[in-house]
Amino acid sequence: MSTKFTPAILLVMLILLYLFLYGPIGYIVYVSFQRDSIWPFPPHWTLDHFASLWDQDDYHAGLGNSLAIGVGTGAVASLMATMAGIAVLKYRVIGRSAVAGLFLATLFIAHVLIGISSLMFNKMILGLPGNIFSAILANATYATAFAFLVVIAQLARYDWRLDDAAMVFGATPLLTFREVTLPLIWPAILGAFIVSFLLAFNNLEISFYNLGATPTLPTLAWGSLRHGISEELYALATLINMAVFGFLGLLYALLRTGLLKLDYKE
Amino acid sequence: MQVARFQFWLLVAPGMAFLIAFMVLPLIFIVVFSFWRTESYTLIREWNLDNYITLFTDWTYIKFLLRSLSMAAIVSLVALIYAWPVAFFIARHGGHFKLVFLLLTSAPFLTGEILRITALQQILGPIGVINMALGAFGLEPIEALMYTSTASAIGLTYLWIPFMVLAIYLSLLNFDFDLLEVAKVNGARPLRAFWEITWPLNRAGSAIGIVLVFIPTLASAITSQFLGGPNGALYGNILAHQFGATGTWAFGSAMGVVLFAISLIVLYAVWKTVGDLKRSGVTLKGGAEP
Repeated sequence: MSTKFTPAILLVMLILLYLFLYGPIGYIVYVSFQRDSIWPFPPHWTLDHFASLWDQDDYHAGLGNSLAIGVGTGAVASLMATMAGIAVLKYRVIGRSAVAGLFLATLFIAHVLIGISSLMFNKMILGLPGNIFSAILANATYATAFAFLVVIAQLARYDWRLDDAAMVFGATPLLTFREVTLPLIWPAILGAFIVSFLLAFNNLEISFYNLGATPTLPTLAWGSLRHGISEELYALATLINMAVFGFLGLLYALLRTGLLKLDYKE
Repeated sequence: MQVARFQFWLLVAPGMAFLIAFMVLPLIFIVVFSFWRTESYTLIREWNLDNYITLFTDWTYIKFLLRSLSMAAIVSLVALIYAWPVAFFIARHGGHFKLVFLLLTSAPFLTGEILRITALQQILGPIGVINMALGAFGLEPIEALMYTSTASAIGLTYLWIPFMVLAIYLSLLNFDFDLLEVAKVNGARPLRAFWEITWPLNRAGSAIGIVLVFIPTLASAITSQFLGGPNGALYGNILAHQFGATGTWAFGSAMGVVLFAISLIVLYAVWKTVGDLKRSGVTLKGGAEP
């Protein structure tokens, strides 16, 4: 008897997890369109919170800085992760597990440690001030680990003999990469970029310690939350959530068409 | 072979150089700084053990560390217990929607910690929707949700459970579900089949999931800052304080080193107890990447 029920119970648990994860997000999206944010029932729809978000200049600066950190980190992390991912999957040389371990190590290090250690290292040893550049360097450490995971998952089934075939016909390694490998693996690279971009764009703890007084959207949100309820924060949350889910829709399309498959047993 | 080796190291060199320069070296230097001292926001190279002596003798710091340790243990355990059936369902019964189901569990993670905490505060706080709704119906508010460690624990589970689902799911991808059919044919009930086949063969996934939830929870500061209330401060809050108001970087470094050391110990212990592949007798299915 239990065999028939089991999948149904598991499905209910999955649905409850989605409710737990998306309930608060859905509610904040709803609240961001409501005049009364504390008890918004019955609804009184308004766009005022978005207007007041738009009117605050520090959020404009924060958006620019967050974008710069996101794009910079995404570029650095996805480039390094793609190169390393290809190397680890393609060449069965001694030391590849150790190399893979180094690229994944940041997953097991708390963000606050990356934040404070790079803050002190930059100031005391390198003499670098806290700015967007140092925030990109610090964010790229853990973003590379995530990008590496995406690349590995996507390329696990790539057939490297395609490259060998091209080389046999006289193509140089660079030409092979441009004409054979890249057209097939670009979804993996773009996926790695999207994930590392989003992580760095929304990062608080690492950016916070490395930025000095430079505002980003997460540090502004943190400051605003410290001073109690501010309704433009809900508008910001709504916009960021919409952007993230838009990007993830794109990522999903890539995963579906790409080589990958996180579900490669089908 | 020679060429392959050269190309391999050429491709991994930039990333390795970067990670050593900007991750490994800074971590080594916080160990160095933890033996220095701070004077008016500046690190001074005077070797001493005072930071560690204070950390291990002052009951205040021990208390915060113990509080964070138990928080991390509870949150990891809750996440492990809840994530297992969810990951199992997605891997076993997800069909063509596996990837959608999985991405939906991971997606909120990418929106960032602070916005997720903002959303939770709207639900849990004293003027959060749960207690406001109870008030609207003339019921007593739930005290446990208002600025307590329970609220922090809910928040931390909310933040990190996606990692647990992901780790167990990835482990289950290489799992041969036919084994469960064999067990069923031989008369094993589902729970027994789970304990004797599914769980032991997927220990690695559980181990990685536990560590991925435990470490950030142990270090967490933001969640307890906004959900935990005045008495809910955790080790991470005190650590952050050393780099904020007080500016005692050397002491903060020592706190960071202790945090890092505990992370390594936990990593090792979990791997030895839960994740030990040899003891569990795992053989990866042919063709699957290790």
